[in-house]
Amino acid sequence: MGSIEGIMTGFQVAFSMQGILYVLIGVFVGTFIGMMPGLGPISAIAVMIPITFGMDPTSALVMMAGVYYGAIFGGSTSSILLNAPGVSGTVATSFDGYPMAQQGKAGKALAIAAISSFVGGTVSVVLLMLLAPVLSSVAISFGPPAYFALMFMGLTAITSLSEGSTIKALISAVVGFMVVTIGIDAQTGTQRFTFGNVNLLEGLDFLVIALGLFALAEVCSLVINRKDLSMENAHKLGSLRITKKEFKEMSGPMTRQSFLGFILGVLPGAGATIASFIAYITEKKIAKHPEEFGKGSIKGVAAPETANNAATSGAFVPLLSLGIPGSGTTAVMLGAFLVLGVQPGPLLMTDRPEIFWGIIASMYIGNVFLLILNLPLIPYIAKVLKIPRPLLISLVIMFSIIGVYAISFNTFDLYMLLLFGVVGFIMRLYAFPAPPFILAFILGGMMEQAFRQSLTISNGSLFIFVQEPIALTLLIIAFLSFIFPLIKLLRKRQA
Amino acid sequence: MLNTLNKRVSCVLLLLAIGYLVLAYQLPTYPYTPVDADVIPKGLGFLLVGLAICLYFAKDSETQEQKARRNIPRKDIGALLAVFAFVFLYITLLEILGFVVTTAIFIFFCSLFLGYRKHITNLIVAILFPLFMYITFTQFLKISLPPGILPF
Repeated sequence: MGSIEGIMTGFQVAFSMQGILYVLIGVFVGTFIGMMPGLGPISAIAVMIPITFGMDPTSALVMMAGVYYGAIFGGSTSSILLNAPGVSGTVATSFDGYPMAQQGKAGKALAIAAISSFVGGTVSVVLLMLLAPVLSSVAISFGPPAYFALMFMGLTAITSLSEGSTIKALISAVVGFMVVTIGIDAQTGTQRFTFGNVNLLEGLDFLVIALGLFALAEVCSLVINRKDLSMENAHKLGSLRITKKEFKEMSGPMTRQSFLGFILGVLPGAGATIASFIAYITEKKIAKHPEEFGKGSIKGVAAPETANNAATSGAFVPLLSLGIPGSGTTAVMLGAFLVLGVQPGPLLMTDRPEIFWGIIASMYIGNVFLLILNLPLIPYIAKVLKIPRPLLISLVIMFSIIGVYAISFNTFDLYMLLLFGVVGFIMRLYAFPAPPFILAFILGGMMEQAFRQSLTISNGSLFIFVQEPIALTLLIIAFLSFIFPLIKLLRKRQA
Repeated sequence: MLNTLNKRVSCVLLLLAIGYLVLAYQLPTYPYTPVDADVIPKGLGFLLVGLAICLYFAKDSETQEQKARRNIPRKDIGALLAVFAFVFLYITLLEILGFVVTTAIFIFFCSLFLGYRKHITNLIVAILFPLFMYITFTQFLKISLPPGILPF
């Protein structure tokens, strides 16, 4: 099937009644969960996975994609109104969004966020449509060594770009990889680290890890901050209207950041958070009046909001065309694909064009829905933020428990969920980033398989990774992405 | 010797890595397989040992905010432990009493314990939410949740 026919199929899927309905559900739930302080897209996707059981994979994945970009979209609301970003990708939005809210211009800030998110999201879907098929056709020739190198690059990128200490990020990734070695080895049938426990034979389910490390660990933070009254002090919205002059001011950052954000989203390891910060910094640097930033600048809201949404679509490029996630969130998204029996990768476009193109096409509708949800309806939706914390805590725990139980039907996994909740909380306390952990957990199994397949082909010789030009290039990039921050650090120390 | 945080954390990690390595060395190996099941675990174990050593010598570069995050008041630690106990009981009783009953009890008492004082709202949420989820899962999604003592 050619690309044009594929695109047509995609639009047919997206514009069917079922397609529209699931996109709407997805973006609505995503906005809702993304808005909750602390609960980001990872928790949103993980909580929604059990709902998709038994659903047709296309509808389910269209919905899950909606949850993902809906959560990024919704995160801006709590950033602006409460200065409590629901998602790390919207932290930069609060720098200028919250000062605007303090000046009584919360409505305006929300409108700017909604419009720039819409522009960023839509422009990047067009780019996604162009780039994903190209990358798919290149990746189809990749053998196990190239795949191993690609995944290795993804892992090193996320560790070197993580917040804080690179060593801690690496440790987090290695421990995540260790956890995935639990269970029966797929190639030799050896039981590894199961301690004779039948429940561990198949290894731990990724939902146990995702919900434990993210949702439950967040519950712990919510328990500690349960008396935070900021929700009740949320600022009044004020008018949503934007003047022509203001729109003109936004248009520059929106155009630039749509492209920049998309590119950063495609690159492994970067994603929405880094894209939004880079957008904020670059706009501040090139602005005529940089002193306005941080005091309620329109550009300061438009830039990160455009970039984080553009990056979200960008992140779908490697996920759909290579089957390799570049961030923690897309790793959980990959988990959602696998739960539904769909293997994303270079063959997805030809084997399941309805899924490949359906997801991409549905993003156009999703962005329109998000604009509607976030502009006229925002005063009503923002009431969600008034859910009392004690109730919110109990409900998040309930959703996590349902999520894991519905996939495994045994309480052993629930105890494991509790255990990983504790682990996630301790990691937070000691500043070990969790995204490398989940990425390593999801990629670990595939990486080990690709590594061992490569060595089986080469009869045990490691030279196979150097002989294949694609694998070699990717490994060199991985190596450099790792060495550069170290060199920078050393130079800083010497200076 | 263990005067900084990184040093203490690295020791814990080192113990973890050694424990993992001991288990990895007990994995059976088979002849004629170029890469056996123990290769990756052993590699990971040594990698963690190396990283733990790096962390031991790394400077603490924590911001004040990160330090403050660990400063949890005793009362809140108590609350956290209590919530964990609640969740533990929830999981243990889930298959015995059933999803709806256990979840309702959990939501009501957990919210009450965390300081929610609108009892009527709490009660309504605690009953309606689990019921709604139960019906959605068992009737529409065809995923069974433990019925427990309830007849349906």
